[in-house]
Amino acid sequence: MTDTKPYRILIVDDEADVRDYLRMALEDAGFVVETAEDGLEAMESVQRSAPDLVSLDLVMPRHSGAKFYHDLQKDKTLSKIPVLIVTGHARDEMGKNDFNEMTMSGPGIYLEKPVRHDSYVSAIRSLLGIQGAEDHMNDSERLRGELAAVLSTADTGTLQRALDALKKK
Amino acid sequence: MTPQSQSELDQLLGRSMFEVVPFNVAVIDRDFSIVAGNTNFEEYFGPWRNRSCYEVCKHTSRPCERCALRAMFIDGRPRVSEETGVDRHGRTRHYVAHLVPLMDPTGHVAHVMAMTTDSTETRSWKREYDRLFERVPCPAFVIDREYRVIQANDKFREFFGIPDGRFCYEVCKRGKSRCRSCTAALTFADARDHVATEVGVHQDGSPAHYVVTSSPVLRGHEGVSHVIQIAADISEISQLERELRKTQDYYETLIHNSPSGIIALDSSGDPKVVNPAARALLEWTDSQLPTAARLKEMMPVQFFASGAMPEGKLQLSEISVSSAQQQEIPVRFSAVELRSGRQHLGRAAFIEDLREIKQLEQEKLDTERLAAVGQTVAGLAHTIKNLLMGLEGGMYMVDSGMSRSDAARITSGWQMLQRNIEKTTGLVKDFLSFAKGRLPELRPTDPNKLARDIVALYVDAARLQRVELSLNLGADVKVAPLDAQGMETCITNLLSNGIDAAAMRAEGGGEVILRTREQAGDLLFEVIDNGCGMDCEVSRKVFTTFFTTKGNKGTGLGLLTTRKIVQEHGGRIDVESTPGQGATFRIRLPRERLQAIANSASEPAISSHGAM
Repeated sequence: MTDTKPYRILIVDDEADVRDYLRMALEDAGFVVETAEDGLEAMESVQRSAPDLVSLDLVMPRHSGAKFYHDLQKDKTLSKIPVLIVTGHARDEMGKNDFNEMTMSGPGIYLEKPVRHDSYVSAIRSLLGIQGAEDHMNDSERLRGELAAVLSTADTGTLQRALDALKKK
Repeated sequence: MTPQSQSELDQLLGRSMFEVVPFNVAVIDRDFSIVAGNTNFEEYFGPWRNRSCYEVCKHTSRPCERCALRAMFIDGRPRVSEETGVDRHGRTRHYVAHLVPLMDPTGHVAHVMAMTTDSTETRSWKREYDRLFERVPCPAFVIDREYRVIQANDKFREFFGIPDGRFCYEVCKRGKSRCRSCTAALTFADARDHVATEVGVHQDGSPAHYVVTSSPVLRGHEGVSHVIQIAADISEISQLERELRKTQDYYETLIHNSPSGIIALDSSGDPKVVNPAARALLEWTDSQLPTAARLKEMMPVQFFASGAMPEGKLQLSEISVSSAQQQEIPVRFSAVELRSGRQHLGRAAFIEDLREIKQLEQEKLDTERLAAVGQTVAGLAHTIKNLLMGLEGGMYMVDSGMSRSDAARITSGWQMLQRNIEKTTGLVKDFLSFAKGRLPELRPTDPNKLARDIVALYVDAARLQRVELSLNLGADVKVAPLDAQGMETCITNLLSNGIDAAAMRAEGGGEVILRTREQAGDLLFEVIDNGCGMDCEVSRKVFTTFFTTKGNKGTGLGLLTTRKIVQEHGGRIDVESTPGQGATFRIRLPRERLQAIANSASEPAISSHGAM
């Protein structure tokens, strides 16, 4: 995998809002994103084309996250794909057993809902081993943000100068 | 007085004495001829003049073989002899003869005076007595003052064995010395009858139970010379008594130790048995039994009503008794008429204290409710986490949209925020309605009509989702006490789930059937869909948590509410499902419990709501 080719992430969650949110956060951070509504869809997606990482909810109808994870572990190549668990059930009766079993044997990193976008992105980077690349990946975004912050408090003269400078370029 | 006159006096006296004595008197000479006889003699034996004694008294022609007179003429000593002869009517007679020698002046026995008295009657009495003694239907025996058995009847020999002149205590009790308490000793002392119950030994060695009566045999001045004892055999009776005692002990122990209260009345309605459990239940501490009137205040009236036991039995399942302290105690009450053949002996009540059971039921309910609260809180937390996740997402989109001046992104961010705020509102509403609920009001309802009405409401909505909704009504389904509104909520929830599941079939052809039927005293509502089905982990959790598989659509409270209402009807709900093959949700309402809940609706003790 080279710098030019972005990482591909598969988000598995039954809630549309959650999928939309996580997809946006990852795309903004420069990732390519696929989504699946449940374990079965996720399996189809993985078999079509293996992602670099799976972001996985645990409790879903039809085929649960835990089952999907077990299926993944059975396949020699697919079992190497890192999995980040994103769940609201880490500690309740519905998800506890699955969760404990999976964190013991597998990924070791999980996020408990609700997740903030920055901690989500950094957890995924950390799993992919690309922590240092954050600045590079996010440069323009960060500058744009800083600029916006400065602009929002700037007086008219400063704004005029800044606009002129940008136009010159 | 002159010797002349003296001799005359003697003669006169002798003659009149001869006539007056209450004996048959005859004077017999050495040739056995009767030379004199008084009137009594002649009346008894007949004419005697110029006849011999054997002719007159025995109607024989020769002197008797064993003649007492002959010896007397030789030795001159008086004799007493028992004789059998013939009276003047030719009847055989027994008599006792007192024979006195009469001396002539030379000292020879010239005559014998025979004074006889009839003993025929005495002999027959003796015979009667002997016969009685033998015939008396129990052992009888006579003992002398030494306590030797001198006479015993056959029954005695059968019972105790042959006495053989042994002591009574040897024969009857195989003892070596006199008994400590002895009726014979008392009778010897006071010449009265004495009775006692004795335990002796049968001839065969087994214990002999008998009642002995000692009666005195009196002999003139000597006092009690003998005691006659009659023993009435009561071995069998005492055996029966022991058996009866055993049986009685057996049942008394049962009654005494029964954990159920037992109260029994005799045929006139007076209390005869109030066992310890009944005493405890009724808080009756008096050692006396309660009176009939007092008992009436405590027991259900049906127990005393004359016509209340048509088949000799009475069952009252939800009733209370009133204790001595005026406390109402819920019990299960059953009563039975006591009979022996056609004879009415009384009635008995069996009372089971239901307080502990009610308490346990309440505690179980509380425990279940607490567990449900725990699960609900956990489920609620999860639902809230998802809502927060949606809000987080909305905020991110609005924030990032603003920094990029991306209006579209801001709009969808706002929409996401609105959606999740709406869902929060919905959750709170659902949650409140679940938590508060309302008391079910059970009224007679036709389950089939209820089912028809609900399906009529939803058939069009189902068709919009390309799902065919149909009815399958049991013909034998009868009216039941139901909270129609609550039950409608339940069935509607299940139908709506089923329709959603059936609508998800990729291949179409979704179907949902609402079925009613009766099964072993239970009323069943079933919602059968051919949708995606659920795997068992989902079906296990489906009623206990805020479980939703409907993405944005549900809050997950529907099934929880359904279960609550069904439970308030005394029923239960379960699900059969195979992933990919649809599911059957079944509401099962035992009719007995429906009726009980309907009956007790007015009793505040039964209501168990409002804890959550």
